[in-house]
Amino acid sequence: MVLLTMIARVADGLPLAASMQEDEQSGRDLQHYQSQAKQLCRKLNAQSPNRCTLEAGVMSFHYVLEHGVCYLALCEAVFPKRLVFGYLEDLQTEFHEQHGKKVSTVSRPYSFIEFDTYIQKTKKTYIDSRARRNLGSINTELQDVQRIMVANIEEVLQRGEALSALDTKASNLSSLSKKYRSDAKYLNTRSTYAKIAAGAVFFITLIVYLSCVLLPFITWRRTILLQFELAPDLTI
Amino acid sequence: PLLALRVVNLLQERNLLPLGPVTPPTPCLPQDLQKINCHPEVFRSTLTSIPQTQSLLNKAKLPLGLLLHPFKDLSQLPVVTSSTIVRCRSCRTYINPFVTFLDQRRWKCNLCYRVNDVPEEFMYNPVSRSYGEPHKRPEVQNATLEFIAPSEYMLRPPQPAVYLIVLDVSHNAVETGYLDVVCQSLLENINALPGDSRTKIGFITFDSTIHFYNLQEGLSQPQMLIVSDIEDIFLPTPDSLLVNLNECKELVQDLLRSLPQMFGKTMETQCALGPALQAAFKLLSATGGRVSVFQTQLPSLGVGALKSREDPNQRASAKDIQHLSPATDFYKKLALDCSGQQVAVDLFLLSSQYCDLASLGCISRYSAGSVYYYPSYHQQHNPAGVECFQKDLKRYLTRKIGFEAVMRIRCSKGLSIHTFHGNFFVRSTDLLSLPNVNPDAGFAVQMSIEENLVDMQSVSFQAALLYTSSKGERRIRVHTMCLPVVNSLSDIFAGADVQAITCLLASMAVDRSVTASLSDARDAMTNASIDSLTSFRTSVLTIQQPGLLAPACLRLFPLYILALLKQKAFRTGTSTRLDDRVFAMCQLKYQPLAYVMLMIHPALYRVDDLTDEGALNVSERTIPQPRVQQLSVEKLSRDGAFLMDAGSVIYLWIGRNCNPNFLTQVLGLPNYAAVPLNMNMLPELDTAESQRTRVFVGWLREQRPFFPILHVIRDESPLKASFLQNMIEDRTESALSYYEFLLHIQQQVSK
Repeated sequence: MVLLTMIARVADGLPLAASMQEDEQSGRDLQHYQSQAKQLCRKLNAQSPNRCTLEAGVMSFHYVLEHGVCYLALCEAVFPKRLVFGYLEDLQTEFHEQHGKKVSTVSRPYSFIEFDTYIQKTKKTYIDSRARRNLGSINTELQDVQRIMVANIEEVLQRGEALSALDTKASNLSSLSKKYRSDAKYLNTRSTYAKIAAGAVFFITLIVYLSCVLLPFITWRRTILLQFELAPDLTI
Repeated sequence: PLLALRVVNLLQERNLLPLGPVTPPTPCLPQDLQKINCHPEVFRSTLTSIPQTQSLLNKAKLPLGLLLHPFKDLSQLPVVTSSTIVRCRSCRTYINPFVTFLDQRRWKCNLCYRVNDVPEEFMYNPVSRSYGEPHKRPEVQNATLEFIAPSEYMLRPPQPAVYLIVLDVSHNAVETGYLDVVCQSLLENINALPGDSRTKIGFITFDSTIHFYNLQEGLSQPQMLIVSDIEDIFLPTPDSLLVNLNECKELVQDLLRSLPQMFGKTMETQCALGPALQAAFKLLSATGGRVSVFQTQLPSLGVGALKSREDPNQRASAKDIQHLSPATDFYKKLALDCSGQQVAVDLFLLSSQYCDLASLGCISRYSAGSVYYYPSYHQQHNPAGVECFQKDLKRYLTRKIGFEAVMRIRCSKGLSIHTFHGNFFVRSTDLLSLPNVNPDAGFAVQMSIEENLVDMQSVSFQAALLYTSSKGERRIRVHTMCLPVVNSLSDIFAGADVQAITCLLASMAVDRSVTASLSDARDAMTNASIDSLTSFRTSVLTIQQPGLLAPACLRLFPLYILALLKQKAFRTGTSTRLDDRVFAMCQLKYQPLAYVMLMIHPALYRVDDLTDEGALNVSERTIPQPRVQQLSVEKLSRDGAFLMDAGSVIYLWIGRNCNPNFLTQVLGLPNYAAVPLNMNMLPELDTAESQRTRVFVGWLREQRPFFPILHVIRDESPLKASFLQNMIEDRTESALSYYEFLLHIQQQVSK
């Protein structure tokens, strides 16, 4: 059962038309889902996939994005995707034909609220089980249902990052790491040179020290020894 | 103000009424602020100069409150479509003409005094295409305007216009013939119902069982589904009971044409109103909308059944009146449920017997509906009533309507609102839930001064009404009023608005009659006039003179209080049916000020000598403006004809020796004896006098949204008694004359 249908302008999330399930039995608190739907319409942009299913617990959001307008439906997760997307496509065709040209000019929310009557009728056609038998035409159109991306709604709302952004970040990362590698090599080489230079300096200093200090010492010792040898009878 | 404080000795000056209608006092604000202040017909205060402290207000002994008519039909209403609606950050007041701009970029709220930033978009004025002058924008130049609301102001997508008609089809009901009138009226006005292509309509009829109508597109004729289990009402089919009006119009018209005959021979006498209302609620709870219930007898079956509580012998009781409060809380509970689902219930009571309006009225009172009452409605016996019903129905079906509305009234820091009067449900401290808002509903609130208003030159009040129009647009209507603050008693008295004070006292008295007793309410009203005049005498008057002294602005106050005491709602000693009394009380609380005043103090004019002197020229018609007379039999001269405008009814009294010219030229009758006992129309004669009289009566009638019946009265007319009951200045066996009342007050004031 489709509980909520919303048609909004992608550019700014302005709601254009909507329909909530008018049924005493549905009685669920749709407020929460309604606000999620509004947020979702605002988060979507031209880079978002144009057909997608978003899981939100026991319910699922399904949307179709076409010509800058988003067609969103909320239904139970077990509800067949084929039917929902058929329904959304139908709405998309009719809405675009009736109001497509005026979408960019309106500023008032729900300017096309009268489209609600068509939404209600279409809903009945797709949801009514007897009518399902007549919907063989859907099979041919929706061969790529499997290819429709499935994502989690929380992720989309909270992280809100398009895949393309991730891709850019990943390629950035690889070039950065390459740069890091070359920098590291360079530093390594430099440090080796520095070590060698330090060793050389130490060695030279050692030689200089030996030559300056040891040589005079050796000379002094020889002098003292010679003095002792030259004056042996000084004692009585 | 000086004129307003001119001292009048009520015992000496006999002729206190102004020549024309009583004008509201003008607040003492600087002229540039007063020019853009809210119109008094929309927003009015009992005191146009607000006291600085609560103790000062207590000394004046006058009530402080506001009377509003927020959804009144306006000829000029600026509508603003803006991407940002500028509101104060802390108190959420809408920007209005009385804010102060500190510089071009910052504005100071006039209710909480917080400084806010002017958003960038607001700096541009689309009207004059200029930049940098935010104070020239329409939001700051108009005290009454309407915003188109962005999507943050909607809890759900705007609802379509949904109308459900619930009709009583018991034998009693069909016998009155009202069903013909309702069906005919609906057929005529079906294209004028406010709405768009999403408008939905449905029908329920009931007697001892509930009948639903399947109007699904594609059926060849409407299908009736009967549910007889009234203990546990359910909807027989999930959809097609409420259908799209545009798509199923032929079926709806078929149903309306066949309904009167369908039940023409019914013998059902029972009436299951409670279950019918439950069914109506179930049907509309998913979307919200308006339920119009037509009822002609006491509900006798199922939940909400009522017993006859009125004792005919107590009608003329001089003591307390019993049974003014509801007998069961079923209707109140159901009304609250309806209010939660944005469903409003309007009640039409067309009955000749007791219907316990005190209990039934609750269904409208808490769901923001309205009550219409046509006592003794009958097709043959009461043709004037039929005409009245027809005209009222036309207005009811075609007038502007707002759905799923809420209203909030804000006032400056230091003032607070504590009591609300009108048909709505108070959802939180100051949020009024109005599932339907219509242009004929008035509201009143009482205020108190919580903190002293020192250092404040003026205070402001703002009423904001958020609603969905019948075309699915979410709009906010904002009214802002500014009033000066004063700290002397004489200034307070100078700014008193006697009509507003009377209306507020009337609403307070209705509440008091239901919670305490009628005699309590009557005493409270008399004491109101005594206390305020005492206060004037002791605190404001410098020279003590004998007599009963009042300021000019309050000179009509004792007269209005006496009129209230003699009004159907509050009178004792005169035979009054309980339903009539309860309906009068409902009207005192529900009607906007102008019509309440006509109810309380009708306007009496002499019409046999109408001239064009001082006439109004409105759209090429010359409307004579006769002088307003005092309501006393003294003023009725035998050789004249007098017209009394009592709001919902107009009496034309012909004197026994009336000018024969008047009789022939205006009434088309040769002499007094030929005046029939129940004449309700002025014939269209080709004479100047006839023209003038008809133009005058037409002018009076078109100023109000309901249709007043005209009754021509002569000496033996059955309605003569009700005409004379409106002569409030005269003595009756159960009430004082005006002069005696003044003496009574004077005695109390001089104590």
